[in-house]
Amino acid sequence: MENHLLEVKGLDVLYGDVQAVWDVSLHVDEGTIVALLGANGAGKTTLLKTISGIMHPKRGEILFWGKPLSKLKPQEVVDIGISHVPEGRRLFSKLTVLENLKLGAYPPRTRPLFAQSLERAYSLFPVLKARNDQKAGSLSGGEQQMLAIARAIMACPNLLMLDEPSLGLSPLFVKAIFELIYALNHQKVTVLLVEQNVHQALKIAHQAYVLKTGKIVMGGSGDELLADPEVQKAYIGERWSKR
Amino acid sequence: MLEYLSFGLIIQLLVNGILFGTMYGIAAIGLSLIFGTMRIIFLAQGTTIIFLAYICYWLFTLFGVDPYLSLILVVPISLLLGAGFYHALFKEAAALEDKNISLLIAVGLMFLVENLMTVIWTANPRSILTTYTSLVFRPMGINIPFTRLIALLMAVLSASGVLLFLKKTLIGMAVRAASEDMVSATLVGISPHRVNAVAFAIGIGLAGIAGIGVATIYPFDPVYGFIFALKALISLALGGIGNVYGALLGGILLGLIESLASFFLSGGWSDAISYAVFLIVLMFRPEGLFVRAMLKT
Repeated sequence: MENHLLEVKGLDVLYGDVQAVWDVSLHVDEGTIVALLGANGAGKTTLLKTISGIMHPKRGEILFWGKPLSKLKPQEVVDIGISHVPEGRRLFSKLTVLENLKLGAYPPRTRPLFAQSLERAYSLFPVLKARNDQKAGSLSGGEQQMLAIARAIMACPNLLMLDEPSLGLSPLFVKAIFELIYALNHQKVTVLLVEQNVHQALKIAHQAYVLKTGKIVMGGSGDELLADPEVQKAYIGERWSKR
Repeated sequence: MLEYLSFGLIIQLLVNGILFGTMYGIAAIGLSLIFGTMRIIFLAQGTTIIFLAYICYWLFTLFGVDPYLSLILVVPISLLLGAGFYHALFKEAAALEDKNISLLIAVGLMFLVENLMTVIWTANPRSILTTYTSLVFRPMGINIPFTRLIALLMAVLSASGVLLFLKKTLIGMAVRAASEDMVSATLVGISPHRVNAVAFAIGIGLAGIAGIGVATIYPFDPVYGFIFALKALISLALGGIGNVYGALLGGILLGLIESLASFFLSGGWSDAISYAVFLIVLMFRPEGLFVRAMLKT
């Protein structure tokens, strides 16, 4: 069909008896940035967890390059080219920066590329090179987020999924993170981005979806959603809509 | 009793404690590694140590293999045994949220092995007698039995080896990463089964070394294993879970406590004191004595 890198069809996901994702369908085209927006508890994180294999869907299909991956385990999903930077970063805080990066290239497919990948990570995040032998837990919040992204791209992903990368960061780091996402996308990495920082996310996104209580309620290009009065009211607020 | 006390005697008690304690220490390192990725206390550790001590005993009595030479057989056997334990017994249960199942399997394994050993080797204590069993060095009037010195050496070398493995190899890093955050580890591509099996293999590999240490030092019987596991657990609590050197130091500290308690009170009191120390440490410093406050969070 078209160049859908990732396609989600009719996905239902449950936590025990509680359904978190209802009949969600979306697609991510190769080379784009797709933003996934919505309030807390809307099901964004659950959706990412299901794509990366941490959770498994009750119904529906996830296709990556046309191949189903809903039965795969997380360690298999990352090996076929989907990296997930989870919410809260979840670095190996007792390991050094370099050890975190080495483990980023753990999938067999990516091990031979380790030297190149490390160079790429260092050129994108020069601050990490200086912190090479420091424990990941001793980095600042912004640096930790950079390390989390760097660790994910060590696996040479085709699709990078980022869960709230700007959460809790200072405005300076937020700006840096968005610039990085933009730069990575220029290096042919497709990005699926979950963000609370709706305005910034929509500015760089080619495509965006809005989730509400587990259902997709809106979809369109980043600019369309940015101009949509409902989106402005619900997620961006007065401050932005006046500009 | 105190009138017999001299400086030399104190030193002797301390040396005895250290030499005793290293065996607890390497058992505790094994427990710590397995706990790291599996999140269970592998209660069958002590019984496995005794089982491997019997293997060493058999190699010696049936084939005349020197206990220290048998290292080259016992260590590979125990590494395989560890990986085998995981794949045969724990693989399914490890994936469950409820860790009690894995713990129950460990308890079941402990009783099974204990009873098998009683059937095969009877409940009578066994020991290995070699030409060097009663060899004692006496530097500056302090008695240092040769077999205990070698056990200390084996413990220190194997602890350093494990530490090096965890630091320098990719799979070692993966074990440390998985001990910290298993979900995050799977997201970078680490298979839980792989790291669990490696942790088990090394844990039981260390049990093999401890088994040889035990077989050359003490007479042992099948039920001794459970007590040994308890001692390893106390060492782990003293040293702090997830800390290789801490576990070794915890074992040495326990050895010192036992050695001093059995001299100043009596042999019967020494166990009561160790369990009391166990509880007190858990009450006031649940993170262990050798974990820096910085790592608390």
